[in-house]
Amino acid sequence: MSKVKNWHLGREIEYPYDDHRPKRQWAIVFDLNKCIACQTCTLACKTTWTSGKGQEYMFWNNVETKPWGGYPLAWDLRILEKLGRQDWGAKGEYLGKTLIEAAPPNERVLHFFPTDEDWMYPNVGEDDCAGGTVDGGMHLDALPHDRWFFYLPRTCAHCTYPACLAACPRKAIYKREEDGIVLIDQARCKGYGECVRACPYKKSMYNPYTRISEKCIGCYPAVEQGIQPQCVVNCIGKIRVMGFISPPGQSRRDNPVDYLVHEKGLALPYYPQLGLEPNIYYIPPIHADRDYLKQMFGPRVEDAIKAYRELPDDPRAQGLLCLIGSTDRIIHKFDVKQGTAFGYDEQGAELVRVPVTETVIERAAFDSKLGAARHNTP
Amino acid sequence: MTKATLRTWTATLLCATAASGAACKSRKSKPGDGVAAEPPATPISALEVRAVTADLTAPDAAAAYWKNVPRGLVTLMAQPMVTPRPETTTTEQITVAAVHNATHIAFRLSWKDDERSEAGRLGEFSDAVAIQFPMRELARTPVMMGAPELPVHIFHWRAQYQRDKEQGKPTMLTLYPNMSVDMYPMEFKEAAGGTVEQQEGFSPGRAEGNPQAYQKSGIDEIIAEGFSTSAVQAGHSGSAHGVWANGTWTLVLTRPLAIDGGSVIAVGSETGVAFAVWQGGKAEVGSRKSVMMSWLPTRVL
Repeated sequence: MSKVKNWHLGREIEYPYDDHRPKRQWAIVFDLNKCIACQTCTLACKTTWTSGKGQEYMFWNNVETKPWGGYPLAWDLRILEKLGRQDWGAKGEYLGKTLIEAAPPNERVLHFFPTDEDWMYPNVGEDDCAGGTVDGGMHLDALPHDRWFFYLPRTCAHCTYPACLAACPRKAIYKREEDGIVLIDQARCKGYGECVRACPYKKSMYNPYTRISEKCIGCYPAVEQGIQPQCVVNCIGKIRVMGFISPPGQSRRDNPVDYLVHEKGLALPYYPQLGLEPNIYYIPPIHADRDYLKQMFGPRVEDAIKAYRELPDDPRAQGLLCLIGSTDRIIHKFDVKQGTAFGYDEQGAELVRVPVTETVIERAAFDSKLGAARHNTP
Repeated sequence: MTKATLRTWTATLLCATAASGAACKSRKSKPGDGVAAEPPATPISALEVRAVTADLTAPDAAAAYWKNVPRGLVTLMAQPMVTPRPETTTTEQITVAAVHNATHIAFRLSWKDDERSEAGRLGEFSDAVAIQFPMRELARTPVMMGAPELPVHIFHWRAQYQRDKEQGKPTMLTLYPNMSVDMYPMEFKEAAGGTVEQQEGFSPGRAEGNPQAYQKSGIDEIIAEGFSTSAVQAGHSGSAHGVWANGTWTLVLTRPLAIDGGSVIAVGSETGVAFAVWQGGKAEVGSRKSVMMSWLPTRVL
């Protein structure tokens, strides 16, 4: 076992391979306050990548309702239950064990192995409310709400320390040097299912037709051309942005992902305590139960929600949130000046510019020139 | 929800109801099944391969020549060297006999397995056995998958691969009889017009030519130079057939004595073999297996 640095946990962790961060790391940031579970991301991924035989049940991107939903069934509850109670220290450092540290002597990763029935209900628990029943005439008039749920869109997190890669006895899984995307070598995999067992997020999936395992490929053919993944560019709510995240010490203020994760502390990794340094980050939903959010996103939830509520006073962050979803290209740098947000590509060429506040034009209800009433329809 | 969304969710839900479909997992044995009752076997520390005058090109567990060949018991234990490994030993012994006819060598193996498993659906694994031969110097070749410059030659039989050979590779509908799917890309009735190559582009394992994704002919021939290095070879020189009855697998594997680019066994020489067994019903696959801790010295008479 090697000791590797996991900044999500503020300490070194055990991992079967040496620390070797890629040149840059693929990452997605999701604003959960905006997701409406329309599943457009799911379908964009499905129609692009998993329409073949043996992939019928696969959703490399899925959206589930928390706390009751889970694809496969109760994936998070079952691994949390296996790991047992673990604690965070007062300074946000993790005191517990990661899945690799908690593995029994005969295993590489503490895991549970879903059965095929577990994968058959991708929308179980959809829109089910937590905190009690909802009666007629009820009001939700405080934050967080006492009745709550939220939608959790999920892709592979292309972890810095992937459990799937650690568990593969054939070394058929690799993490790309150029962008940190984790791939299963489709020529080398023999379908042992060790990655399906080991990935706690359950984003490695077995294809019973090709008899080998598959997973989200981070839309690498698009990423190689400077284009964001299908699930990101098709998001109609503009809740997500793909970019490259730096380790904390190398964070750049003009990098959209760095800004949201490191500079503002708005976006947090999910289930960081599992120890894999997952690279999908979430702006937590401010209305949901705080204990639940802390279990899912770690001890910095309150700070992230505070930062979110202060957004009206931060034109730079506002500008960045306006840029999200405004271009298919990967935004390497952004700037906000004089009420306009700018996105730039890797070479510094402008990709897109958007107003931070849309211009409002007021028109009279009656157009006297045309002699017609104006309706509020386009 | 768009029509396309609705269709996909419907397909998924219908797929979900397919759980009751019969997979080829556990089967009751039929009386007889063409295998003679096992004569008693005793523990051995070396294997003698006697010469017979018979055609050994095809496996035949019921052949008369097996009656005159001593059967030896070899002890296996849970693979102990690399993780993941089984928590307990699932196959403690394997019964071994071997004959040759100067061009081919045949092994007759039997081991206990309460449940016949052929894999197929998610989370299902196949019963399997492997016979391993050294390719270079026996004394220096590690029994656990060989080492760099000290390769081993492995014949890996799976019940799943045998079913492929006998019944063809299962389709999705064989595995999930009640599933429903609207269409596959480039395969929708006459409107599809896709070539096989275009259709296979939607099955990455096949597009990459991974042998796992194609119909098997009963066994894989593998060369390995240590853990994590096993590579399936193109072409087949050996063949095997297994029968499961009364909680026991009986299998005969036959191969030419000399295989170009593989292991070469000389009549009158001493070599070694090793065996590994997987119980699919106990989720054994890959490194989760029962193995021998040393080569079984083998004299080819």
